[in-house]
Amino acid sequence: MKLIKAIVRPNKVDEVKAALEKLQISGMTVTEVRGHGKQKGHTAIYRGQEYNVSLLPKMEVEVVVPDSMADDAIKAIIASARTGEIGDGRVFVLPVLESYKIRTGERES
Amino acid sequence: MSSEPHLTQTDPRQDARAARAARLDAARRELADASGRGEGGRHAMRQYSHRMDALIQQLYAEAGSLTQSVAVFALGGYGRRELCLHSDVDLLILFAGVIGRDDERFLHAFLNPLWDLGLTIGHHVREVADGAGLEADNSEFLLALTDARSVVGDATLLDQFQAASDVARTNARTLEALKGLIAERHSKYNDTLYQLEPDVKEAPGGLRDLFGAQTIAKLTDPALLSNGGSGARALEDAEEFLLRVRSVLHLEAGRHHNILSHEVQERVSERLGYAGSTPSQRVERFMGDYFRHARAIDRSLRFALKAAPAPIGKNLVRGADGIRFIDNREAAERPESWLGLFQAALDGACPAADEALTCIGQNAGRFAAEAFFPTTAHREALLRFLKPRPGLYARLSEMHDCGLLGQMFPEFKAINCRVVRDFYHKYTVDEHTLLTIRNLERLTDKPSRERERFGRLLGELEAPELLVLSLLYHDVGKWTDDDHTLESARMAHQMFERLGLDDAQRAEVDFLVREHIKMSLVAFRRDTEDPEIFRQFAQFIGVEERLKMLCLMTLADVEAVSRETLTPWKEELLWRLYVDTYNHLTLTYGDEVIDRQQSLHSAVLAHRPDDLESDEIAAFLEGLPRRYLQLFSHDAVYRHVRLSRDLAPDAVKAWLNRVDSGWELTVLTHDRPFLFSNISGVLSSYGMDILRGFAFTKPSGLIVDMFHFTDDEQFLELNAEGEGELLKTLTEVVLGQKEIATRLRGREQGAFRRKLPGFAPVVHCDNESSRRYTIVEIVAEDGLGLLYRVSRAMSESGCDVDLVLIGTEGRRAIDVFHLTRDGRKLTPDQQVEITRNLQRVLEGRS
Repeated sequence: MKLIKAIVRPNKVDEVKAALEKLQISGMTVTEVRGHGKQKGHTAIYRGQEYNVSLLPKMEVEVVVPDSMADDAIKAIIASARTGEIGDGRVFVLPVLESYKIRTGERES
Repeated sequence: MSSEPHLTQTDPRQDARAARAARLDAARRELADASGRGEGGRHAMRQYSHRMDALIQQLYAEAGSLTQSVAVFALGGYGRRELCLHSDVDLLILFAGVIGRDDERFLHAFLNPLWDLGLTIGHHVREVADGAGLEADNSEFLLALTDARSVVGDATLLDQFQAASDVARTNARTLEALKGLIAERHSKYNDTLYQLEPDVKEAPGGLRDLFGAQTIAKLTDPALLSNGGSGARALEDAEEFLLRVRSVLHLEAGRHHNILSHEVQERVSERLGYAGSTPSQRVERFMGDYFRHARAIDRSLRFALKAAPAPIGKNLVRGADGIRFIDNREAAERPESWLGLFQAALDGACPAADEALTCIGQNAGRFAAEAFFPTTAHREALLRFLKPRPGLYARLSEMHDCGLLGQMFPEFKAINCRVVRDFYHKYTVDEHTLLTIRNLERLTDKPSRERERFGRLLGELEAPELLVLSLLYHDVGKWTDDDHTLESARMAHQMFERLGLDDAQRAEVDFLVREHIKMSLVAFRRDTEDPEIFRQFAQFIGVEERLKMLCLMTLADVEAVSRETLTPWKEELLWRLYVDTYNHLTLTYGDEVIDRQQSLHSAVLAHRPDDLESDEIAAFLEGLPRRYLQLFSHDAVYRHVRLSRDLAPDAVKAWLNRVDSGWELTVLTHDRPFLFSNISGVLSSYGMDILRGFAFTKPSGLIVDMFHFTDDEQFLELNAEGEGELLKTLTEVVLGQKEIATRLRGREQGAFRRKLPGFAPVVHCDNESSRRYTIVEIVAEDGLGLLYRVSRAMSESGCDVDLVLIGTEGRRAIDVFHLTRDGRKLTPDQQVEITRNLQRVLEGRS
């Protein structure tokens, strides 16, 4: 199993969800996050005064998928979240060692 | 010697006088007999007052013809029907109109016979119009008036007299005067009721204290004396006892005498039938009763002084449990007065009392929405009430809970306890709506650091009450399952007519209600880092005021969905969209000139009056920024077009308009050096505080400037020629026929002295945002002559001031200037120079 963490633009979450659902991936966690990439944000000006916008609002979408589906899921996320501009986000893939259902205590393979 | 027969001649006037004297004597004998038996209490005095009424009615009828309505009212003790044997007879003679010679003749004919009868008359003569200054009348008269009772004539005159007065202030002053008189009187008796030879009227615990307690209750809470102190029954007994004693004192002394001296105590105790084998035993028992009753009165008076609610408005008092009506029955018939109760609660930072809410709840259903706002003044009062401030949510909730809100705004009834099932809303629609208003009001009262920025936006709004009104209506359309925004807007239109909103107000509320979800959609669902997104959004919004309103509406609305909905993350997204859109609206609007495809352009042409051709309007609009059409009404545009026709090079067209919160000056003329600076300088030289404004320059050099200002010194208000003088000075200064600097200098120096500590001015030069202009943003402490000084510094640096946006946030001026020099943007060196010059001006160094 793989844990896929995608940091995407807030307005792209619905498209990412839809793309994952097409792959029958419906279980996911979506979190509001703030951060910055290589550009470390930018400077904005309001009423003549500069202020640093270092942490940009993003959404984090997390899904756990079988190893066999990981590539398709990653491709679907990238295709749906991409605009081609700076700030499109990142996808991280992590191995998942074990998974348990809390209700039943059942271990999933 | 002849003798003439003796004829007995009778003088009818003497006969009448004798008859009156006989009637008065009979009445007095009757009271004297009762007093002698120790029965000169309430009943006997009432009888005597009744006889006095008849005498006065007779004299009124015999005083001759009347040229206008006149009425006679009994005041003080006579008004209470407690006229004692030798009491003064206090009268108010009230005329409907101005008192003329015929009326004076009537007065003499009426009063002289009363004096002839040996009565001591205390008379007050007033015209109904005098009621307007009633609160400034003498305090004894105000107090006597609390017991006024109609004896003869048009009884409604007293209502008219009092209606002309400021009832709240009059009552408050009467109460204060009464308290002062009580304290002064008590001090004469060393503040103790235990006098060995008490004055039954004046001493602590005497009749004046009793009337004092009753007056306090009458002015504040009729049930007051039943709820505390000695209780109503004990007071009745005390009053009867003291009246009987006083009657004996008047009888024994044969004059107005109220002191219960040692010698008189024996006779009084005897006449009142006290048992005892010796006079001293009878006196001891009698005085024991006296002190018991005096204690009862004293206790009630102290309670009344301590517990009486404070009168705060017409038929309104503030008690321990909040604001309530003095007279619920009167209030029940006057629905237009109910908002005043909630306004008073808002002003006093206290609730509406349960009793008042019950009264309103029981009667609200009897009235249609129009009954709550019958006049323009009532409708304006509603808009004032809706200004966001701490307590507004609580007051609106009270109004909703007692059914008033739904009666005032029938559309709101449609969402009463309405449940809409979705995944995110946690409250019924009506409560969600009221919570949005709570969220807004919280921004006015020390918001968190994160929210301060939104709080400042709220403070900048010209008409925050329209935002609250929009919030009140934003979800009323949720009674249906269709698109609720359209339905809400449709329902809001029903309210516009009832509240008599003007076109601009209607447009604002309609937009906010109809588009209230637009900003959250863009902020949370669109890529707001894409400049095209906020450019489109800025075009959709049009002007900053609307942007601020919609931003605050979105914040309040999202937060009212549930406690968890508005995360700091969403707040940040919303703020960034606001900032980007604001910057676009204020910094790049100069590049976006009116084009013929713009819908507002078409609308202006379509509705043009007969005297204007399409081409003429189109030519005028050419080259002006798009926001010109968003800021001016069609009528204003047409006026500008007419005035700009064949405008001579040295012509200055300027005019003033009175607006809700001050004045507006509009100027049409051709551009010339120091123009903007001179116009703002003239306004400042008259002490005007410029709050908002804008300046547009057409490529042809025609300028349209508009300044919104307040006239705190009331120059225009108090001088009939003020408007003409200001406009004349303006023209002379603009044309260089008069200089303004000297006139302004004294005022400017005063303004410098008021500098706030620790607030550094900001000057920011921006050459990126606009293709055509260098933009200079200035944020500085507002002050008289600020605009004059900074714009003059720009002109002195060789810059043309092409476009200006003037704004204020409290005492902070936020001004944006679009500049060019020789038709081009400023070079980096020129930017450095202008920034330095402006900093120097703002810091008062030049």
